Amino acid sequence: MAQAIAFYFIAACILGFAVLVVTTRDTVHSVLFLVLDFLFVAALYVLLGAQFLAAIQVLVYAGGIVVLYLFVVMLVNLKRPPEAHEDPHRRTKLGFGLAAAVLLELGAIAVYGSVNPAAPMPATPAIPVSGNTEQVGWLLYTSYLIPFEIASMLLLVAMIGAIVLAKREL
Amino acid sequence: MPAGISTSDFYYILPELVLTAGALVVLIADVLLPKDRRAALSWVTLIALGATLASLAPFASTRVEIAHGLIAVDRFALFFKILFLVAAAITVLMSVRYLEVEGASPGEYYFLILCATLGMMIMAGGIDLVTIFIGLETMAVSFYILAGFIKPSQRSNEAAVKYFLLGAFSLGILLYGMSLMYGLSGTTNLRVMATRFAGQEQNPLLVLAVILVVAGVGFKIAAVPFHMWAPDVYEGAPTPITAFLSVGSKAASFAMLLRIFVEGLPAMSGDWRLLFYVLSIVTMTVGNFAAVTQSNLKRMLAYSSIAHAGYVLIGVVAGTARGVTATLIYLLVYSFMQLGAFAVIVLLRREDVVGDELKDFSGLHVRNPFAAFAMLLFMLSLGGIPPTAGFMGKFWLFSSAIDAGYYWLAVIGVLNSAVSLYYYVRVVVFMYLKKETIGSEPKATPALAVTLAIAVAATLILGVYPRLLFEVAEASARTLGMVPITTALR
Amino acid sequence: MLLLIPLLPFIGFLVNASFGRRLTKRVAGAVACGAMILSFVVSVAAVFRLLSFDPESRVMAQTVYEWITSGDLAVPFTLRLDPLSAVMILIVTGIGSLIHVYSTAYMHEERDAEYARYFSYLNLFATFMLVLVLGANFLVLFVGWEGVGLCSYLLIGFWYQKKSASDAGKKAFIVNRIGDFGFVLGVLLTFVRFGTLDFQQVARSLANLGTETTFGTVSVITLLLFVGATGKSAQIPLYVWLPDAMEGPTPVSALIHAATMVTAGVYMIGRNAVLFGHAPLTLKFVAVIGVATAFFAGTIGLVQNDIKRVLAYSTVSQLGYMFLAMGVGAYAAGIFHLYTHAFFKALLFLGSGAVIHALAGEQDLRRMGGLKRDLPVTYWTFLIGAIAISGVPGFAGFFSKDEILAKTFESGHTLLWGVGLLTSLLTAIYMFRVVYLAFHGKPAAAPQPAHPEEEEPAAQAHAHSHLHDAPPAMALVLIVLAAGSVLAGYVGLGGRFEHFLEPSFAPQTAKAAADGGTGMTLMIVSIVVAFAGIGIATYYFLKNCRAAAVMAARFAGLRLVLQNKYYVDEIYDATVVQPIRIVSEDGLWKTIDVRLIDGAVNGVGETVGGASEVLRRVQTGSVRAYAASLLLGVVLVLGYYLWR
Repeated sequence: MAQAIAFYFIAACILGFAVLVVTTRDTVHSVLFLVLDFLFVAALYVLLGAQFLAAIQVLVYAGGIVVLYLFVVMLVNLKRPPEAHEDPHRRTKLGFGLAAAVLLELGAIAVYGSVNPAAPMPATPAIPVSGNTEQVGWLLYTSYLIPFEIASMLLLVAMIGAIVLAKREL
Repeated sequence: MPAGISTSDFYYILPELVLTAGALVVLIADVLLPKDRRAALSWVTLIALGATLASLAPFASTRVEIAHGLIAVDRFALFFKILFLVAAAITVLMSVRYLEVEGASPGEYYFLILCATLGMMIMAGGIDLVTIFIGLETMAVSFYILAGFIKPSQRSNEAAVKYFLLGAFSLGILLYGMSLMYGLSGTTNLRVMATRFAGQEQNPLLVLAVILVVAGVGFKIAAVPFHMWAPDVYEGAPTPITAFLSVGSKAASFAMLLRIFVEGLPAMSGDWRLLFYVLSIVTMTVGNFAAVTQSNLKRMLAYSSIAHAGYVLIGVVAGTARGVTATLIYLLVYSFMQLGAFAVIVLLRREDVVGDELKDFSGLHVRNPFAAFAMLLFMLSLGGIPPTAGFMGKFWLFSSAIDAGYYWLAVIGVLNSAVSLYYYVRVVVFMYLKKETIGSEPKATPALAVTLAIAVAATLILGVYPRLLFEVAEASARTLGMVPITTALR
Repeated sequence: MLLLIPLLPFIGFLVNASFGRRLTKRVAGAVACGAMILSFVVSVAAVFRLLSFDPESRVMAQTVYEWITSGDLAVPFTLRLDPLSAVMILIVTGIGSLIHVYSTAYMHEERDAEYARYFSYLNLFATFMLVLVLGANFLVLFVGWEGVGLCSYLLIGFWYQKKSASDAGKKAFIVNRIGDFGFVLGVLLTFVRFGTLDFQQVARSLANLGTETTFGTVSVITLLLFVGATGKSAQIPLYVWLPDAMEGPTPVSALIHAATMVTAGVYMIGRNAVLFGHAPLTLKFVAVIGVATAFFAGTIGLVQNDIKRVLAYSTVSQLGYMFLAMGVGAYAAGIFHLYTHAFFKALLFLGSGAVIHALAGEQDLRRMGGLKRDLPVTYWTFLIGAIAISGVPGFAGFFSKDEILAKTFESGHTLLWGVGLLTSLLTAIYMFRVVYLAFHGKPAAAPQPAHPEEEEPAAQAHAHSHLHDAPPAMALVLIVLAAGSVLAGYVGLGGRFEHFLEPSFAPQTAKAAADGGTGMTLMIVSIVVAFAGIGIATYYFLKNCRAAAVMAARFAGLRLVLQNKYYVDEIYDATVVQPIRIVSEDGLWKTIDVRLIDGAVNGVGETVGGASEVLRRVQTGSVRAYAASLLLGVVLVLGYYLWR
């Protein structure tokens, strides 16, 4: 029960901050809300017993990436008002409408699911709670070694891409 | 402790390793080579692709799951890997001239092409959501950058930004679906998932997962209504990249689609068949009708490529062994004609002419008869006129639909290909029945001539002598999944 | 051996297509003609070989290779020669050779490269046509079917400097799309129903089935196939492309749009005689469409002023006769008419070509006249052709047309017979109108520059004084064809032609021979009609031209309708073309092809530059709109599932 309450609280915070990220007029505030958002996601990981992931989340996203964002925003966008918000083509109503429709439909599915419970799944083997670093490491470097290696290629691609886009002269 | 990975696993991913090594060599050679010698990079790239192709040879009839069911090495994957490598090689061939004209540096370009190919190969082999997703991302990120590679061009930049934003959005939808699948089954392995899902047809969350994955995949294959990005991106991206995007990315996404739905979700086949049935009809129809009014050839081919995704979905809807076979056949056949058509556009690109407007084709048969003939062939083949390969492909698709009892789907397909001929033939009309325009003569470089020759030969040979292709495709289709595909549901 | 027949013209095509630019006219022409003539020789040899077989087993087949094989479906690339295809290959290679020879002179003023291009198309056409008639299954036939179509479009638009020519090519193409759609569906349905695409196997699997009295699968199949035939063979409602196709060079009109390709629909029905025989409802429909087309086209032909257009409507009308024959089950008579028609219609076209050639591009009958004196060879051969088509006894057209009318009458379709007879009257009138207007009377006054864009500049300056008759190559061809127009009909005497073809149509051919009494009466009636027609034409267009003017004035309204071809083009334009155009241009362009950032495409954006500029424009809606559409798709699908 306590876990459920914690989950819903964290989930609500994540959603709320996400909304604030896109609605805040000030870009710096927007980035700061993003940091909060990431922190709550990390909290969710802790709740699920994935402490290692939570730590990584805080270190990499909240600590690294968002700080970079902040630098960029402060360097580039210091004087300019955020243009997007004056955009006449924002289609706010359409956005809200669609979001409401999705919410409604998901709600309907939830209701339907609780009214007609589906046939029970064949028992799923319990996933070992691998909250500690050692187990994550084991998995990554044994079973998931190949995707892990491919992910390194993916990162290389992203890096090269950043260089390509940033290079002044080709 | 989870079991480790064995040496034999590395043996089975030899082609991927070779390709990765090749990509790294290209990257290093780019730095080491003097600036005026960088054109040689295309050779390095081609050799890398050739070596990868050669390293596929030992696995001609292998059928194993490696790395604890993350990757399958089977004929289905092999078929697609060959397709990707050939498409990549043709793309490289037509890029040489294009990069020269645009004045772009080749190093990162070829590296990214190889990485995109690597991603596609992983997608085709993946039987686990994790692998498939990583492969998809590798391919997609490479394409985001490639689409915007011509930095001075506003169109190219815009294409890249759009593709990236929408790609990320659709990826979110796809991931939502995948996470539901994982959450419901407790596994990411598609084949294990299939056994867990048996008897779960009514589960509303599973239906939701199916719909979300369909939408995510639908974006990648540019099926209506998830297609909006395609015309803008195709028009803006560098022409060889457009070609590769419309062939490689599409084929890889179809491979992923077949893996996920046929292998992972056979229990839900009633639902996804219905979805793809509707998508197929809408996609064909919208794609063809929108293509009719286009005057920019790249944009026209974008819509045409959307329409072709609709045709290919017919085979998926049929879902039988024959349907999957037809899908494979059509994807290969389509690759050659589509790449060929883009190669002609590249050929028309000169210092003074962009070459992708319909009027640039006026009187081409006088200015360059071979290019005009090649284009004629590609257009007829795209339109499905015998004895070209395109006819064979359509024939298989439609007959597989009829075989599975989807008569109306076949009828709509035929009707659509009748409509499509209208705009394909418009190109022919411009080439053969219009006065020539003034401008410098489009001359084919050796690389472009080879590109065109390969595409022409494939388009003709696969149409006149399709047996070999068919046997290979059928053998490949039969290795798809451990779950036998029984008769079609109506 | 059979493979050689289409292969030879194909080699000619390859030579002219690949080296055409470097070949002189003499070489290019010789290659093309040589290939056709060789192909004719091989065809004759093949047909003789066929004749040496026992009449019941006159079939030769050659499987070139297994084209498609997959489990239960096997489609070999097989060529098959039977009496029906024997007739067809002789027509295609025979008339084809003659027209190739004629073209060497007719196209002589073209540039070298254009000349070679012309002949390469012509050879390619012959290749596909031969594949069409020799194909042993629907798919091989379809290869030829689409191939001849393609060549036809390219040849119609051959003089693409003229806008009307390239438009006509496009029109032919689009109209044929509709027909082909039906055809492909018919083929697919055949495959579903019979599990095979081989003509013989389809016929065999029908053998122990009764005819379909209600509207069933076979009726649907045959109806769809017939839709294909109406496109290719220019029948109501898809005939509109053929008159426009006259924009092509005249030998092309003769070969493709009179003698061979347009008869493909008739041939296809003949090839599937057993299939059609099992669907009496379709047959009835075929007969009605055929006779209606024959009549309507005949009436339009009466008032047209372009010599080639008269002939085009005449072709449509005669094709209608052939379909009438098919529809009443007189397959042999239909093919017989196809065969004689090939001679005299090719002759008439080539004769008109000689006239046009002599007048440097003039095609308007009103600006001709009195050509008899200057063009004797052309005149006499043209006259023979006109007599033959009118159905004067002793000439080829008489035998075949009379046979069709007789068979129609016997089969009890008296009304159809009556309309057919009336059409035959019209035929005689419009043909002799052409003869009189072009060759008799006084030379026309100086050409009025009413349609300056239609004619080549040279036409303005022509004077009748220095007219020259057809050059030797053309004259020779005209004479050979004239001889054919006289003699071709005698092959059919005593039902020999019919007996020869019988195995191809078995077992459905109508057996009962006409009994002497009715047959003779019918024959006399048609002879009288033919002469009446010629007489009427002589009165109005030769003896008493004023009467024609009076008639024209009295029926001005009717005449206007006819001259505007019943406004069919306009009606199609208003009811079909415009709505489609509006939907695809205004509707789809604005809703489906959302392009909210026109600036970038028009190149405006290129000058502005800057990354923020890109982002700004991307944000002005399009990306959001696209994302919204993506999400909307999901919402709709989900909504559907929940609602269900």
